[in-house]
Amino acid sequence: MDNQETQPNITAFFASAMHDMKNSLSVLINFLESYHTVLDENLKNKVAPMLYEVKRVNNNLVQMLAIYKVGNEFYPFEMTENSIDEFVSEIVMHNQTLLDDLGVTLELDYDKNMTWYFDRELVSGVTSHALNNAMRYTHDKLRLFITNEDGYLVIRVEDNGTGYSASMLDTGNAVNKGVNFASGSTGLGLFFTSMVAKLHKHRGKTGSMALENGGKFGGGCFVLRLP
Amino acid sequence: MFTSDSIFENRRFLIVDDFQGMRAMLREMLKTFGSKNISVAASAKEAITYLEQSDKYDAVLCDYNLGPGKNGQQVLEEAKFRHLIGPATAWVIVTAEKTSDMVIGAAEYMPDDYIIKPINEAALRSRLEKVIAKKSELHDIEKAIFAKNFNAALSLCDKAMGSGKANNEILRIKTNLLLDIGRYDKAKELFEKILSVRDVPWAKTGLAKVAFHLGEMETAQRLLKEVIDENRTYMEAHDWLVKTYQQQGDLEEAQRILLRCTETSPNSMIRQKTLGEIAHKRGDLDIAEKAYRKTIKLGENSILNTPGAHLGLAKICTDKDNPNEALQLLKDVHKEFDDKAASLHAKVMEGMVYQKTDDPINARKVAEELSAIIQEDPNLASADVAIEAAGFLFKAGDKEAAESVLQTVVKNNHDNDALIDQVKEMFDQAGMEDDAQQMIDTSRREVVETNNKGVTLAKEGKLEEAIQWLRNAKTMLPNNKQILLNFTHATILAMQKKGKSDNLMSEARECLKKVSALDPLEPRRIQYQNMLDAIPSQ
Repeated sequence: MDNQETQPNITAFFASAMHDMKNSLSVLINFLESYHTVLDENLKNKVAPMLYEVKRVNNNLVQMLAIYKVGNEFYPFEMTENSIDEFVSEIVMHNQTLLDDLGVTLELDYDKNMTWYFDRELVSGVTSHALNNAMRYTHDKLRLFITNEDGYLVIRVEDNGTGYSASMLDTGNAVNKGVNFASGSTGLGLFFTSMVAKLHKHRGKTGSMALENGGKFGGGCFVLRLP
Repeated sequence: MFTSDSIFENRRFLIVDDFQGMRAMLREMLKTFGSKNISVAASAKEAITYLEQSDKYDAVLCDYNLGPGKNGQQVLEEAKFRHLIGPATAWVIVTAEKTSDMVIGAAEYMPDDYIIKPINEAALRSRLEKVIAKKSELHDIEKAIFAKNFNAALSLCDKAMGSGKANNEILRIKTNLLLDIGRYDKAKELFEKILSVRDVPWAKTGLAKVAFHLGEMETAQRLLKEVIDENRTYMEAHDWLVKTYQQQGDLEEAQRILLRCTETSPNSMIRQKTLGEIAHKRGDLDIAEKAYRKTIKLGENSILNTPGAHLGLAKICTDKDNPNEALQLLKDVHKEFDDKAASLHAKVMEGMVYQKTDDPINARKVAEELSAIIQEDPNLASADVAIEAAGFLFKAGDKEAAESVLQTVVKNNHDNDALIDQVKEMFDQAGMEDDAQQMIDTSRREVVETNNKGVTLAKEGKLEEAIQWLRNAKTMLPNNKQILLNFTHATILAMQKKGKSDNLMSEARECLKKVSALDPLEPRRIQYQNMLDAIPSQ
């Protein structure tokens, strides 16, 4: 069996399964997001974590699929010009409910007139994932800080938690260097992020990611750099 | 944060999704936004039925995956092709994931946006508002383009650019227009301006297109490879790279790139077809056959289907001694396509199948049908098909028809030695060398005289007469490159003297387009192109 024949079949199965799963997830997420506000406090607290779980399932699906496609060189990477304002607005919209549920405030810091070239779907995925992650580690504040530094777009997600552990920082560095020591869901998320960063190239410069401690709140910082 | 509800209140929406849960969810969301006029379709067929109704929708939310049959992209293509939606209609494709299958089509059939599931209500509202606002802004421009009023469209673009909103989009529309009408100099200027700041993929690809049209294949290849290097799955760049290798006659490289493309994007009908054609030319029959079959399968649901793959596969089947399948495919060409030239080609091939399977009665029948078609429109067949037809007609014993066909080929290509040699070859095979030479010489002389007369009239300053003379000549021989060029030159001289005329200008540009199709490397085309561009507006 030559490559050209096996590839399309698997992809067709994936596409069909993805279609089904995404439909179900859409309905679930929509339900949870619309109904939880009309529930009393008791029920609300029980339902909120459910939304978080469903979103995790979705994020994992998205990441796995992207990794599969990129690995086989058929992800339709599209470098388009994006308004940072629109980009941030959508990320906030997608995560507002969760933020409210967890009582986390999100601070936004970026130039409303800035635009940059990147693959909107992939970078949104990475940023949302970083936000979701940070929501768990943070105390009660998050900051999304986007700026232009040395010809790179720098996206920072900062929390006011206790910061990343040393091993976590090491893992972050390793993945960025292309050596993957992580496994499990941590590995998946980091690998996805580093893959997306590396897909972005311009005139010899390549994207990168990093985990550090510090930032405005002195907690953990997720940093994505795109050329 | 949100604009008033009226953007949704007074507009007509169509939802298309095969999943009941999604349909209900989307309808509820639109209602919340203030929509009062919402149609809901559960399948591609139902969607087309709604779209066929007289009042056009303002916005369509269509899932990409609609189960068996057409997908959302194909529904969009049919809607645009059949004018079931207007230039002001916003089309958003809702999808579980973005795949390379979606970026397969031509630019004019792209949706206005993609929304990835799961759909967030606030995000949907925000996206719809933006898309609807953008369509509004671009409405006048799109209308002008639709009416083929390219100059008006260009000035509208310039006017709209000032406001700074959809600038990128407008730049793309403007550069596409410039490329379409052949203003390569201006397009190049715009692309270079964008590239001075950043290597934007579509702009660099655009610059490569300019190089291609100017015959600078190596420059084009260099640029396209740079784009692909940083954007490994950017299909448009791959497509043009294939074109450059085809132009250079390097079919091996063209095929190699196309094979890689079809791995990335296996469901692109156009790419599979091109792969089939190239592999066929190279004699790679297995690859060609597979690609043709895939093309035909993909074409089943597409309104943009063309008969090339049917014809190609029929030829392979004939060569592989499978006449039954060949005949079935050729029948399908007549049945499924409204394409006279393709039907003619299919007839020729049908005749050749009967000759191969030793069926003189049917071959005779086809020969008669063919003669009738050719007599009605002698210029219908391209030179290659005509020569094939002549070969068949000679074998079928219809010498007169064969000669007439070959005479048209000579007249349309009187200065193309390679083709004339092929014509001679045909006559030789039929044992008519002497007649051939006489006919060829006479035909050539006639065309040369016609041309010379036109040129003389022009030289004598009788420009209107020259234009009329050559216009008649090109009506008789619409595929003669020399006549087309001379006609163009005459119009240039006329406009240089008397000022620009919109009618002459568009007629001239049409001619150059035709020349480009007949011979992309003809240097005078570019020369006349530049001269046309230099004619000042009034």
